[in-house]
Amino acid sequence: MMQRSEVAVNNSTIKRSWWLILLIIAFLIAPLVMSKFYLTILCEALVMSLFALSFNLLFGYMGQLSFGQAAFYGLGGYVVAMLITKLQFNFWLSLAAGAGMAGLVGLIVGYFCVRLRGIYFAVLTLAFGQLIFVIIFKWHKFTGGDDGIQGVFPPEYLRSIEAYYYLIFFVCAISAFILWRIVNSPFGQALKAMRENPERTEFLGIHIARYQLIAFVIAAAFAGLAGAVWVPFYRSVAPSYLTWIKSGEPVMAAILGGPNIFFGPVLGMFIMTFVHSYILGFTHFWPVIMGTIILIIIFVLPGGILEFAKVKITERREKAKIAKGQT
Amino acid sequence: MLLQTQSITKEFGKLRAVNQVSLDIHKGDIHAIIGPNGAGKSTYFNLITGYHPATFGKVLFKDKEITHLPAYTRCTLGITRSFQITSIYPKFTVYESVLMALLSHRKVTLKFFSSANKFFKEKVWNILEDVELANQANTLGDSISHGDKKRLELAITLGTEPELLLLDEPTCGMSPEETESTMALIQKLSTERGITILFTEHDMSVVFGIAKRISVLHQGTLIADGSPQAVRASEEVQKVYLGGTA
Amino acid sequence: MNLGYQCMSFDVLFNQFMSGIARASLLFLVASGLSLTFGVLRVLNFAHGSLYMLGAFVTYTIWKTLLIPVVGFYVATFLGALVMGGVGIIIEFFLLRRLYARGWPEQLLATYAIVLIITDIVKWGWGGEFLSIPRPKPFTGAVLLFGFPFPSYNFFIILLGLTVVIFLWWLIYKTRFGDIIRAAAHDREMVSALGIPIPWLFTWIFVLGSLIAGLSGAVTAPFGSIALGMDVEIIVECFAVVVIGGMGSLPGTLLGSLIVGQVYAFGIMFKPELALAFIFMVMAAVLIVRPWGIFGRPER
Repeated sequence: MMQRSEVAVNNSTIKRSWWLILLIIAFLIAPLVMSKFYLTILCEALVMSLFALSFNLLFGYMGQLSFGQAAFYGLGGYVVAMLITKLQFNFWLSLAAGAGMAGLVGLIVGYFCVRLRGIYFAVLTLAFGQLIFVIIFKWHKFTGGDDGIQGVFPPEYLRSIEAYYYLIFFVCAISAFILWRIVNSPFGQALKAMRENPERTEFLGIHIARYQLIAFVIAAAFAGLAGAVWVPFYRSVAPSYLTWIKSGEPVMAAILGGPNIFFGPVLGMFIMTFVHSYILGFTHFWPVIMGTIILIIIFVLPGGILEFAKVKITERREKAKIAKGQT
Repeated sequence: MLLQTQSITKEFGKLRAVNQVSLDIHKGDIHAIIGPNGAGKSTYFNLITGYHPATFGKVLFKDKEITHLPAYTRCTLGITRSFQITSIYPKFTVYESVLMALLSHRKVTLKFFSSANKFFKEKVWNILEDVELANQANTLGDSISHGDKKRLELAITLGTEPELLLLDEPTCGMSPEETESTMALIQKLSTERGITILFTEHDMSVVFGIAKRISVLHQGTLIADGSPQAVRASEEVQKVYLGGTA
Repeated sequence: MNLGYQCMSFDVLFNQFMSGIARASLLFLVASGLSLTFGVLRVLNFAHGSLYMLGAFVTYTIWKTLLIPVVGFYVATFLGALVMGGVGIIIEFFLLRRLYARGWPEQLLATYAIVLIITDIVKWGWGGEFLSIPRPKPFTGAVLLFGFPFPSYNFFIILLGLTVVIFLWWLIYKTRFGDIIRAAAHDREMVSALGIPIPWLFTWIFVLGSLIAGLSGAVTAPFGSIALGMDVEIIVECFAVVVIGGMGSLPGTLLGSLIVGQVYAFGIMFKPELALAFIFMVMAAVLIVRPWGIFGRPER
């Protein structure tokens, strides 16, 4: 019989933390070795990664596809932009307010959405996302409408790209750590259980709608935080941040990298952001390329890159095991 | 008395699937609900567990009315069920599946920052050993045999530490040996853990082998209720099962 | 338009009501195809709005090339719709057909990819200008409704909407093909077991949906509003329509279109910048009472 201790101890934890430490060091020294151009792209990739992770809490872990996540991202950005430009509000409090506001709106929107599942959930989140977009887009007097809001400056000590890069890195790293803890917590286990078998889970005493609403609010708040931290770096915000095209990006990133692996969406976002900035060098037809990439992923790499790699690695190990057994 | 239904009725459109069933389930019993196909056994289960709302009538659990409570609340009160079509977590390991039930029942699912794996190790292993699944603890739910899946679902329900356990066809699709061991297991749960068991079953050898009390449903109506001997002797029951000739 | 209190009389309201009907008619044209495809294929086609947009541009080019006098617009519309039916065949045959066995997120994402690709095709082929076709005879002028001018082309749209309603109703409830459609929406395996080739059925449904999308795109040309971005504008309202009415239900789509059309028409009178927002508020209100839409059925 199997030893009890074998289950609980994760023998790859030590190996994995080595990788993580190396990665963190690489991120910390990036500003010293990278050009300003690439550092800017790296900033964008990090922020978008946080956005994608927030989305994947719902998609990869809870099993619900939100097509309106950009509304929360944009909302966080707008709150920061308005607080800083109109009220000269404290920068740090503005960031918190951006995330808080996104979470609050997430609570209202989520109330309606979590009662539905599957494709119905996707359509409803899309519709609500579009509602928020329309309000911001049309409410010219308050939000600047089509023009957005310009001149959103961070405090003096964060004006340089390098300094702001470190802010972005720490915000994203800490958020990722929190999200990682959440998906491995009992709460995260309940989310996965709802994805696997909602009926069984309900009959174990879990109030599905309530748990989904909590997750929805958490996801909205982190998406809002991503938008909030991005806007002062970019110095402006525009309604395009809230469109369904923007909502589609984390969906793609998750499918590209692998929604069932925590860092899958991050890998997806890094690939997309760097490919995007590379392609913009010689063509403006980015959407058609993005669309083609999606189709290729769906047809060639179902489950995403990381899932594909994982399957290949296990296959090879199995083969090695069999070979060993034969000799 | 643990559970009581009073004239509980369920209508689907014009069809009365369960018709004014009043029944008491006593603490510690192994109680079988039998009846021909379409007799309303599953619907009756669904009314007790909150899967369907009742058209009228009452359900009382430990003398408190639970007729209008949602399914998840009934579960936290101590009523857990298995499904006729085995309902497990296909991509959870056997261990994780049982852990999930415990996390839910012991109300730690609103902990956001501690690792789920730290909880209830001893308890999970106890249950797995009881149902003889400990050696498959690390296997995914969808890659174990059919009989093991049925036992896994039983293990999951045990994770909620129920007072009343409803089993919908617990030996359906099992081999004779598996049926034998499942019956023994149900006996054991009843005696060792003191769980009250209410079950439906097609296999009459199982029913008469372990049930202390049997209730018979026919076309949604309760036609007999009592000890196995009494039910076996009932003319009404013989009529239903053997046709109009009896 | 001056909308002082003294003008808020019956004639103004009626005029607004009529433009609401015209809008509902257009919405129904687009949303019916969306709903039909979802009802039978269980695929929510994000690209439906893109087919509508592409239909408008294709029709414009056909009209411009042929320049047939008098009936040019009608001929171009007919051909444009046919072309979009052809595009539908291509999409269904080469993409969707290969995804029916997969999960709905992949299907959704594939149609989303088509949205992106069609957007760029239109950008590349027609550029970013606004295009339009003059209103065709006999719908060039305006009719006075209680003293207010009402574009007579709106009557054409209403008429077309009615025609499509009746046609779909006839097709779904009165023909053998309709029996199969309804059966397939209910229980796909059963229909398949009866020996009806499901892939063939799906292709025709998707083609029909694309055809209607192309047709509705074509008839918006005389409104003077063919431009990039018209796809997103309409599809989002269509989602509101099907969410309110219940996804996959034809009567639901009709009712949803009427509600959204009227809410929009009167919302614009009230506070133009929030007209769209009103639609979504109505949607939220409907969802509180009926999470599955008015004619929708729960999944379980």
